[in-house]
Amino acid sequence: MTKEPILSAKDVEIQFSLRGRVLSAIRKCSLDLYQGETLAIVGESGSGKSVFTKSFLGMLDANGKITGGSIMYDGIDLAKYTTEKEWMQIRGKKISMVMQDPMTSLNPLKKVGQQIQESIELNQGIKGPEAKKLALEMLAKVGIPDPERRYNQYPHEFSGGMRQRVVIAIAVACHPDILICDEPTTALDVTIQAQILNLIRELQQELKMTVVYITHDLGVVANVADRVAVMYAGQIVEFGTVEEIFYDAWHPYTWALLSSLPQLGLKGEALPTIEGTPPNLFNEIKGDAFAPRNKQALAIDFEEEPPYFEITPTHKAKTWYLDPRSPKIEQPKSIRQLRAKMEERG
Amino acid sequence: MVKYTIKRLLQTLVTVLIVATIVFLLMRMLPTDYFFTEDQLMKLTPEQKQEQLEAAGLTDPVGEQLIRFYGQILRFDFGESRRIQSGVDVVKVIGSKFTVSMRLGCTALVISLFVGVFIDIIQTINKDKLLDHIGTGYTIFVNAVPSLVSYSLVLVFGSTVLGLPSLYSTRNPGPSSILPVVCLSLASIAHYALWTRRYMVDELNKDYIKLARVKGMSFNSIMVKHVFKNAFVPLVQYIPTSFLYTIGGSLLVERFFSVPGMGPLLNDAIIRYDVNVVQTLAIIYGTMGTVGVFLGDVLMMLLDPRIKLVGKGETR
Repeated sequence: MTKEPILSAKDVEIQFSLRGRVLSAIRKCSLDLYQGETLAIVGESGSGKSVFTKSFLGMLDANGKITGGSIMYDGIDLAKYTTEKEWMQIRGKKISMVMQDPMTSLNPLKKVGQQIQESIELNQGIKGPEAKKLALEMLAKVGIPDPERRYNQYPHEFSGGMRQRVVIAIAVACHPDILICDEPTTALDVTIQAQILNLIRELQQELKMTVVYITHDLGVVANVADRVAVMYAGQIVEFGTVEEIFYDAWHPYTWALLSSLPQLGLKGEALPTIEGTPPNLFNEIKGDAFAPRNKQALAIDFEEEPPYFEITPTHKAKTWYLDPRSPKIEQPKSIRQLRAKMEERG
Repeated sequence: MVKYTIKRLLQTLVTVLIVATIVFLLMRMLPTDYFFTEDQLMKLTPEQKQEQLEAAGLTDPVGEQLIRFYGQILRFDFGESRRIQSGVDVVKVIGSKFTVSMRLGCTALVISLFVGVFIDIIQTINKDKLLDHIGTGYTIFVNAVPSLVSYSLVLVFGSTVLGLPSLYSTRNPGPSSILPVVCLSLASIAHYALWTRRYMVDELNKDYIKLARVKGMSFNSIMVKHVFKNAFVPLVQYIPTSFLYTIGGSLLVERFFSVPGMGPLLNDAIIRYDVNVVQTLAIIYGTMGTVGVFLGDVLMMLLDPRIKLVGKGETR
């Protein structure tokens, strides 16, 4: 891991206008990505994981826009990009993305080979047979047997896992620096999931990519990630290495997430859940966004937004618990026992 | 795929045969007076009438008549018109009107396809902007206002402002066709614009468009390489049907501009009990409908690779 980040998002704010109202989906969110690392962003639905990463390649929906902060990549501030033309310099070539549902991510009326070739022709300035050769190589690289025959088939002739391989082939065809995987295995069979994750890992090593996983599957996180960022209500509330997040978390939301891991459940007992609902992002949020759902919330949590407290150079959490003035709060027992339990279950 | 096509073709033929049979049987329920012209009805004695009916085989059992009718269809012999043009072969009666209707209809179809799809592309590109709203406004106007009102508007505008002939004339078919063609196109332009826009917007919202954007394609090449073909596929299914129906002529437009086309013919034939003409027209319209659907499906199958697989099975 080099010290210089490859991409650095700082205080990013993203707002959506919905029927005349303004929704603040991302509220001053900062994140550094380093060359070759794997970062997982976790959080419940609506926490802004997808929106945040989509803004790195200008894929926000038409009614959303970046209203503050900066996204520095290669000396350029992507947050200042407004036209599709500017974004086309980034998409595919520099930053690429794999979406959740392979069943709908491919054009049903176009041969899969052509869909890969299109990407190559577009971004590498190669045309015709040469591009086709590269497309065939790409098919082979993502583990599709008999690429010559498969090149001429249509998406409906592929299974879900195979389609996701094709989608990945399209996304990495032009050797991007950063690959964002938005829940790449959610729509797939459990047995296929591991294969796809392995494939992404292999490609990452071969092409020296930085990979960002967006997921709510903590099992996936433990398997693939170097670092984890936990998002809640449009902010990153805690980030650190996998070890630090799993075994030494400090934000109460991270605790709540980890305690609801199904692996920790006891037979016959209901699995712990996080009570309440995330805050309404149409309203202004005061203090710590998680406070209303946190049984051990401090008085200050409702008043003032906590800053980041550094636990180690790689681990920071945005909670008043870490302020020296706050009362002594211990990590919940289940969190302290997590390591033992995880090891026990392998 | 060939197997599927042949199967569908046979089904189409069976459908046409059933239509012919039903029409024939219904016609046999009419009193046999239709066999005579108005003149003959007055002058002939009942015995003479009976004699002529027997000679024409109309007193035979229905089954026998039906089989004879099938034979005639196979020989493309549809009998003679009795009342509209007494003693003239039905094929000839229909044929002359057919060419007029077909010429107008085809022109209108081509115009409406191109103009409709063009309007739609402009609408889709400018979705939710002024041009889109104008297009939608047009569609709503054409659909909401009774056709006669919009035809009248075209007529008034065309004849007074542009000085175009307001009635069709066989001596001057070119200029006098303009207004009927415009009227015929009005509704179908709206139809194509509405549906193509819908399909294009549908396609634009699909995930594969997002992936195409992620890989760095520009909006324009996404439109050309992905959206257009995909949106066109569901539309293609209806083109043969609408093509065939234009041949059938439009009752309203043809009446309105006194075009000697097929449209008013069926109406006249029914009112005047010209059984052979009615029968033949019913078979023609039935054939056009079923063949249109058949061709539409075949076209779809050629354009959409997913449908070939379905064709092999029994579903469809």
